[in-house]
Parts: sequence; structure tokens; C-alpha cells
Amino acid sequence: MDDLIVKVISRIVIPFMIVYGIYIILFGHISPGGGFSGGAILGAAMVLYTLSFSADVAMKKFPHSVSMKLESGGIWLYIFIGLIGIFTADSFLSNQQGGFYIGNAGDLISAGMIPILTVGIGIKVASTMITLFHTIIEEEGHE
Amino acid sequence: MNDFLIDLANHINYIAAIALFVIGLYTVLTHSNLLKKVIGINIMETAVFLFFVSIGFVNNGNSPIIDLGDLGKIYINPVPSSLILTGIVVAVSITAYSLSLIIRLYQAYGTMDLDEILAMRSEVNHD
Amino acid sequence: MIKHIPVLVQVSLLALAVLLPLLKKNKAAKSKLLTILLLAVSVAFLLISLIDVQQNGAFVYNFGNYESFIGIQYSINAFSTFMSFFVITLALIIMIFSTKDIDHEIAQSSISQYYTLVLILLFSMVGMIYTNDLFNMYVFMEILSLTSCAIISIKSKKENYLAALRYLVLNTIGSLSVLFGIALLYMVSGHLNMTMMNQSISMIWQLYPTNILIASGFMLTGFAIKAAVFPLHIWLPDAHSNAPTPSSALLSSLVVKIYVFAVYKLLFDVLGRNIIISLGIPTVITVFAAAGMLFGSIFAIGQKDIKRMLAYSSVAQIGYIFLGLSLMTEAGLAAGLFHVVSHGLMKTALFLSAGSIIYYRNKRDIRDLDGIGIEMPVTMVVFAIAALGMIGIPGTNGFMSKLYLSFAVLGAGQPLLLGVILLSSYLNAVYYLPIIISAFLKEPKSKNVTMQVEVLPFPMLFSLITIGFLCLLTGFYPTLVMNFITQAVNLFLS
Repeated sequence: MDDLIVKVISRIVIPFMIVYGIYIILFGHISPGGGFSGGAILGAAMVLYTLSFSADVAMKKFPHSVSMKLESGGIWLYIFIGLIGIFTADSFLSNQQGGFYIGNAGDLISAGMIPILTVGIGIKVASTMITLFHTIIEEEGHE
Repeated sequence: MNDFLIDLANHINYIAAIALFVIGLYTVLTHSNLLKKVIGINIMETAVFLFFVSIGFVNNGNSPIIDLGDLGKIYINPVPSSLILTGIVVAVSITAYSLSLIIRLYQAYGTMDLDEILAMRSEVNHD
Repeated sequence: MIKHIPVLVQVSLLALAVLLPLLKKNKAAKSKLLTILLLAVSVAFLLISLIDVQQNGAFVYNFGNYESFIGIQYSINAFSTFMSFFVITLALIIMIFSTKDIDHEIAQSSISQYYTLVLILLFSMVGMIYTNDLFNMYVFMEILSLTSCAIISIKSKKENYLAALRYLVLNTIGSLSVLFGIALLYMVSGHLNMTMMNQSISMIWQLYPTNILIASGFMLTGFAIKAAVFPLHIWLPDAHSNAPTPSSALLSSLVVKIYVFAVYKLLFDVLGRNIIISLGIPTVITVFAAAGMLFGSIFAIGQKDIKRMLAYSSVAQIGYIFLGLSLMTEAGLAAGLFHVVSHGLMKTALFLSAGSIIYYRNKRDIRDLDGIGIEMPVTMVVFAIAALGMIGIPGTNGFMSKLYLSFAVLGAGQPLLLGVILLSSYLNAVYYLPIIISAFLKEPKSKNVTMQVEVLPFPMLFSLITIGFLCLLTGFYPTLVMNFITQAVNLFLS
């Protein structure tokens, strides 16, 4: 799709979408949202970039090697935080007893390990959405 | 009659969920186009999620964001909504996988219609 | 630290699965080596956990130390430790076989992807065996259905894509039925934990009999689609026959059985024996199980492709397991679980030897197998042991499971079902015996074949000999397995 109006408007809109996605991920333990929905919005921002500019440009910006490392990194972060729970509090994925910082309810930095896990899930879901879209678009190009 | 209509209006969520489930199942079973089968599965998934989420409603409840100033409020049950977040992700991955299988089938057989694909397979088998 | 072993084993399977795509050079060989190392280490640790539960008793593992009211629990008892040990051991044997066989079935670049999928499949199977929470079971079930479709379609042939798509569509309808049933049960009881739901339902089920009946109907239909009970089995022959050999062995001997475990947990851990009998569920299961036993064998008689015949035979054997389940007595449940173990071993042996024949000779038609016992003696001896077990000749584990099942049927006072079991065994003989006879006693088509022992590569030979030995071992010493199974059945029925 090679339209000038689409390119200009998406250049204006995409930063707002990314900030909105990051806001939903970071505030996941206070307001509705969390990892899945925030990650989907981040993925949708990149999909808009792919659609309005060409697929080759987008795949250079977000190559396959980076997305592979992000996805594996997300799961390893989850497992690592779970294992901390085993060594300190004798149970996988412990929160307060595992020694994480529980602040006051309603603050941004509170609720122990939940923001860390939310960030990991958000990055992983965004990377998955982008990888799925790029793989299916590549199929079409190879026909 | 009035009581029946009032009951119907109070439980309209559940009735709509079951109606959508049956519509989705009918679409999967009768249409022969593979893409329509995938759409039918999505409709069924939406129906089940609607049913699950509408279980959590409590009469006169507020949305479940805790208000530290007023500790006597009644909130609706947040557990079904968070379970359905996981369910939606599962639905998305199943749709993505089945769509890529349909792309491969189209490249191999040249058609997206299940009846034509089975006819092509049986004439290959009978040779 | 011993109490963390099940969780650590499960998490390590997932950790290796996401590590495999990041390897750079020599991906296929490294992924094979790492998978087999991890599975061997897991077998050792699960054996330690099994011995520990035998000595110290069952316990419950709360994630995050949250109590059972609000948290997710794993229940670690005789049933779950023994079954997870069995699953990982069988998977190790199949994966050793696949190190040489998989090079001939799929493209070289997809091999590390295949091992990633198998590791995630094992992760979800171990999770489903241990879990004590209904929605956690649903999540693991979805991961299991997606990866089991993926290990069929990783072989890039046309029939595989259609088989995988049909399997996926039917599996999704099944999962949605199960989720519907979970929603109905949650509406009635308000808990998702299986033990707490059991306490809640046993107090109030008189008030909501329709709700619980509809919920169990939806959930049993969903699990029956996935476990290939008779009228809902139509996805199974295509899926299991077109898949690569290690995938067929995994699917037919392990994946289908996990849904049987889920039915056991639903009927006995969540609802309880008395509620089921008063709702009238056992009669329905008996009818469909008996029909499956007969019609599965009848459909298998007319098949010409060896893997398709083995797939239809699986439909019949699943009928045996559900027949044992529907008797609702201790002997019936024990016979059903024993047949899970022995059918897993026998069907693995059959699929692996059929895969070796296809690997060596590239022939799948059973009319072409004359005299192949002279060229591949080890393979056909293992095939013969497993096939005689399916028919029910004494000395094999199939005979012991038929014996236990017949005694259970007579003990429950239903001699008509004994006739069904006998008829099904005769039908099994009709399609297994001709293969054994024509393999050993007929002349091969080409005249210059000599008997050799080492025709197959060493890993495949090792797996075949191990699985044949295990079939004979559980046939001569069935108490090794029955010990654990009677403990498991006592847990279900208490």
C-alpha cells in the first residue's frame, strides 16, 4: 500500500499507540488491562507500520532474530522469577513471602512481582503478534 | 406472561450466548468453505466467553477497582473476566494456526472448498 | 527440595523448549542431544519423587503459598507421580527412536522446531496430570491440542495439512464444550479448585440437578471428542496415519490417554461416584464404549495401509478403557488404568516397528509384507509380541489387562459385556494374525534376501528392544504396575 496520506497519518498516530500500549502494560496491576491487552496494542502499532509502509521495511526494523530472542527472553524471565520463589519461600511463584517489594495499594511501584511479570508477558505477546503477521505476509509474497 | 418476559430480560446474556453457540456450531458443520468454518469456530468461542463473563455479575455491584476510601462497596466478581483473557489468547492462536494451514491447503490444492478437496483426494486414491 | 521435583521437571521442559530455537550452528544434532539428556534426567528425578511419595504419603503443592481457596494447586499423590513417570519414560523411548527416523520424514530445517513442539507437548501433559484446578486443566489442554496438531502438520504433505486442520477444528469444538461445562460448574459451586468444588457440590447438588447434568454432559462430550470415543472418532485415522512415526506413536499412546485421565478426574475428583450413578451417566458410557470396541475393530479389518489399521485399532482399545471406567467399581477402574499403561506400551511398539518397516523398505501396504520377518527379525519379533498382546495371548501385558477387565465385568454383574470383550478379541485376531503369519511364514517376493540382525541404526534398534522387553515384563509381572494403580484407584474412590 503506497499511499501518501496513509503514510503521513500513520507517522503521526503510531507513537501515540505505542505510548498507550506501554501505559496499559505498566498500569496492569492497578487498572484493567495487563500483559495480554497491552501487548496486543503494541503489536497492532507495528502491524499498522507494516501495512502502511512496505513489508520489507518493517521486517528490517523488527527482524526475525530480535523477535526470537524477545520471545525466549519473556519465558525465561517468568521461569527465573518463579525459581526465586522456590529458593526464598519454598513455593514456585511466591509474591510477598518471596521477598518482593509490596508497597501501598494503588501506587505504581507495588504488588511485588506482578509488574515484572506483566512487562515480560506484554513484550512477549507483542513480539508474537508481529511475528505471526510477518510470517503470513511473507507467504503471500512468495507465491 | 409478564414474569416470563422479565425473567427473559434479566437473563438475556445467557440466552444470547447459547443462541450464538448454536449458530456457530451450525456454521462449522454445514458450510463447506474452510474459511467459513474458521469463522464459525470464532463465533462459538465468542459465545462461550460471553457466557463465562456474564456469570460474574452481582446486582448493584461496582467495577472491581478497589476504592480505598469506601471499604463497604460491593464489587462484581473479577475472576471470570481474568480467566477469559487467557481464553481469548488461546482463541487467537488457534485462529492464526488454522489460517496458516488454510493458506498451505490453498497452495497445494488450488481451492478452499472442502467438498472439492475431498473429491480431488478420492480420485487420487482410486488411481 | 524433593517436594519441588514435579514443578521443576515441568518448568525445565518448557525452558529447554524455548532455548532450542536460539541455537546457531548444527541445530538438529544439538537439539536431539539436549532433548534426550533432559528427558533422561527427568526420568531419574521423577523416579525419586515416586519413591518419596510411596514412603512419605501424598501432599498438595500450593503455588505461591496461597491457600486452596484462591490459588492453583498441584496434587502429588500415587496416581500423578506414577502416570507422569510412565509418560516421560515412554516419551524418552520414542524420542530415542526418532533421532534417526525423523531425518527421513521432515525437512532438515524443521527438525529443531519438531523437538521444540514435542517438549511443549510433554510440558502440557505433565501439567494436566498433576493439576488440581479446573481452569488450569483447560489451559494445559489447549496447549496440548495445539502442539499435537502441529506435530502432524510439520511434515509438509497435502494429506497432513487436511488431517491437521480437521483435528484442529474438532479439538476446538471439544475444548469449547469443556469450557462451557466448566462455566456451568463454576456457576453452581463458586470454586475452581477440584477438592473444594467436590465439597461444595456434594452438599448442594439436590438443588441443581439439571445444571450438573448438563455440565457433565458438555464436559464428557468435549473429552470424548478428544479421546476418540466411538461416534466422535472420525479425526483419528487420518491424523494418526499420516503423521511422522514418532508423532503417531506419541499421539496414539500418550495424548489420547491424557484425556482419559481428565475424565477420571472429572468424574471422581470433582463430581463423586454417588452423584454420577444417580444422574445415570455410567449406562451411556457403557453403550458407547461397547459400540467403539466392536466398530473400531470392524473398520480396521478392511484397511490396507498399516498405520491406518493401527489407528482404527486405537479406537477399539479406547473403548476397552471406557468400558472399565463405566463399571464404577474398584476392579473396573483399576482394569481401565492398567489398560492405559499396557496399551501405551503395545501401541508404541506397533507404531515403532511399523515405522521401521517404512523407514527400511518404504512400503506401507500390508499385502507387501511377505517374508519381511527374515530381513528384519528384531522388528517383526517386537511387532509379534505387541500384536499377540492386542489379541490377548497369555504372557503379554494385553492378556493381563483383558483378564483384569473380564473379572471386573463379571464382578459388576454384567456378563453380556464379557461377550462383547470376547468378540472384540476375535476381531483383533482377524486383522493382526495375517500380518504375523505372512511376515514369518511366507516367501519374500524377491528371492535373494538373507537374515541379518543389524539392518536398522542403533537408536531405533535400542528403542524397539526396550519396548518389547517392557511389554513382556509387564506381562509376566503385572503386580509391578498394579501396585501403583490400586493405590490410585483407592484415592479416586475414597
